[in-house]
Amino acid sequence: MFSYILRRVLATIPVMAIVALFVFSLLYIAPGDPAAVIAGDQASPDDVEKIRRSLGLDRPFLVRFAEWTWQLLHGNLGTSMFTGLPVTELIRQRIEPTLSLMLVTLILAVSAAVPMGVLAAWKVGSWVDRTLMALSVVGFSVPVFVVGYMLAYWFALILDWLPVQGYTPLSKGFWPWLENLILPSIALGFVYIALIARITRATMLEVLSQDYIRTARAKGLGERSILFIHALKNAAVPIVTVIGIGIALLIGGAVVTESVFAIPGLGRLTIDAIVRRDYPLIQGIVLMFSFIYVLVNLAIDIAYMALDPRIRY
Amino acid sequence: MTVSVSPAAGQSSTPYAAAPELPDILPPVRVRHGLAGFIFRYPTMAVGMAILILMLAMAVFAPLLGTVDPTALALSKRTREPSAEFWFGTDAFGRDIYSRVCYGARVSLLVGFAVAVCASIIGLTIGLVSGYMRALDGVIMRVMDGLMSIPPILLAIALMALTRASVQNVILAITIAEIPRVSRLVRGVVLSLREQPYVDAAIAAGTTTPMIILRHILPNTIAPLTVQATYICGSAMIIESILSFIGAGTPPIIPSWGNIMADGRTLWQVKPYIIFFPAIFLSITVLAVNLMGDGLRDALDPRMAKRL
Repeated sequence: MFSYILRRVLATIPVMAIVALFVFSLLYIAPGDPAAVIAGDQASPDDVEKIRRSLGLDRPFLVRFAEWTWQLLHGNLGTSMFTGLPVTELIRQRIEPTLSLMLVTLILAVSAAVPMGVLAAWKVGSWVDRTLMALSVVGFSVPVFVVGYMLAYWFALILDWLPVQGYTPLSKGFWPWLENLILPSIALGFVYIALIARITRATMLEVLSQDYIRTARAKGLGERSILFIHALKNAAVPIVTVIGIGIALLIGGAVVTESVFAIPGLGRLTIDAIVRRDYPLIQGIVLMFSFIYVLVNLAIDIAYMALDPRIRY
Repeated sequence: MTVSVSPAAGQSSTPYAAAPELPDILPPVRVRHGLAGFIFRYPTMAVGMAILILMLAMAVFAPLLGTVDPTALALSKRTREPSAEFWFGTDAFGRDIYSRVCYGARVSLLVGFAVAVCASIIGLTIGLVSGYMRALDGVIMRVMDGLMSIPPILLAIALMALTRASVQNVILAITIAEIPRVSRLVRGVVLSLREQPYVDAAIAAGTTTPMIILRHILPNTIAPLTVQATYICGSAMIIESILSFIGAGTPPIIPSWGNIMADGRTLWQVKPYIIFFPAIFLSITVLAVNLMGDGLRDALDPRMAKRL
C-alpha cells in the first residue's frame, strides 16, 4: 500500500516539472515580442529593453530556466513587475477569499449534484430524469458570469435577500462570511453540478443493472439502502474522479465569479495582473493553481484505495 | 413521402400452401424520409441545428438586419433603455446594443468553429501518432498530462497576456488549451483499434504503417472526434466570452458578446439590459451547439446514448 502511494507521489513530480517548464516557456514560444507587448504601445525602446532584462529574456533560455527552477524550489515565484512585491506575498494576501469560495462551492455542488444524479438514475426515463438532464445541458451552456449576474440581480437587487457583492473574512464570524459566498458559489457551482450529476446518473445506471442489485431487491432490502449503500458506494470511483477533474472548472470559473461579485481574491489579482500586463504575477498564479490541481487529483488517486478495496496496484 | 409497411401487405400467389394470413392488428410502420424523418428521429439535433443556422444567418447578414454601425459613438444617446428606436438599448458610449449583438455573433461563431476545427486536426494528428507509435507515446502523453494540469481558462489567460489582443490570438490560445483533451480521446480510440483482428490482418498482408493509420484507424476515430469537436466549439465560445469579459480576449474595438458584457459590467446594477441581451444570445447559441453534440453522440454511438 505504501509503495503504491509512494509511486503515485513520485509520478506527479514529472507532471509538475512539465507544468513548470511549460509555464516558463510561454514567454519564449508566444508569438511576437513579449517584452514589447508587456511594455505597451507608448513605451520607449529603453522601457522595452528594461522589461526584457527584468524578464531575463536577454539571457539564454536554459540558464534562465535553471535559475527560475532553483528559485521555485525555494518557494520563490519571482517579483511582481507592477508592485515590486514578491509574488508569493501577493498570493498569500489574496488566497483566503478564493479558497473559501471554492470550498463552499465544492460542498454545495457535491451535496446537490450527487442526490440529483441518484434520483435521475433511480427514476430513469421519467419526467424527473428528463428535467434534470435537460437542466444539466443548460448548465453546460450558460457561462458562469451570466448565471452570476442573474442571481445577483434577482436575489440581491430585486428581492434583497442576500448581499449584492463583496466579501467578509471568516474571522468576522461564520454567517457574514457564508452570506457573501452563497450567490457566488451557486453561480460557480452551476457547471460543476451539471457535470457531477451527469456522471453520477451514468455510473448509477450501470451499477443498478448489476446482479447484486437484483439480489438486494430479492432479499427485500429497502430502496433507500439499495440506492445509497449498495449502489452509490460502488459508483463512487468515477464520481470522485470527475469531482477532481472538475476542480479545473472551479479554478477557471473562480477568476470570473470573483470579478462579478467583487470578491478580493486571486481572481481579482489575476484580472489586475492582466490589465497591468504583470507577467511574473500571472505566471505565479497559473503555476500555483496548476499545482493545487495536480495535488488534489493525487489525493483523489490515493483515496481510491479507501473507496474501492479491490484497487491494489 | 411515407411508406406503409404492414405484415399483410399483398396477397401471396405462390403455389405452396399459404400460411394463414396474419390478422391486420399491427399498426403500419411509418418510415419517414427527408427533413421530417430527420426531425422525428433526432429532435435535439434538429433544434440545435435550426438555432445555429439562425445565428449563422444573423452573423452573415448583420448589415441587412436594420443595424447601424456597431462602433459608432453617440454620447448624447448614452444608456438608453430598450425602445422602438434602440431595440436592445444603448451602452455607456451610446452604441446601439442590437447592432453590436448582431455583429458580435460573427466573433463568437468564428472563434467556436475555428477552435473546433484547429483543435480537432492537431489533436487528431497527435493522438494518432501517440496511439500508434509506442516509442513516442510515453513522451507525448507526459507532455499532455502536464498541459492538462493547467486549467484551460488560466492557460488561455497566460497566453493572451503575452500576445497582442486579436481574434487570431484568441483562437490560438483556446486551441492550445483544448488540444490535450482531443489527443487523449483519439489516443484512447487508437489503442483499442490497434488490437482489432483486421489491423493484424493488414499488418500480415504487408500494409505499410502510414496506410494502416490512414485506411484502418483514421476512419474509426471520426465519429467520436466529431462529437468532441462539437463540445469544443461550445466551450470555445464560452472561453472567448470569459476572456473578453475580463479584458484578455477580443480587442475592445471589435464588438463581441463578451466585449458588450464587459462594457456593461460597471453599470449592471442600474442598466442590466446591457449584459442581459448578449448573455441570452450567447447562452442560446452554446445551448444549440451542445444539443447538436448530444444529438450527434446519440446518432453515432447508440451504446453511449443509453448510458448518458
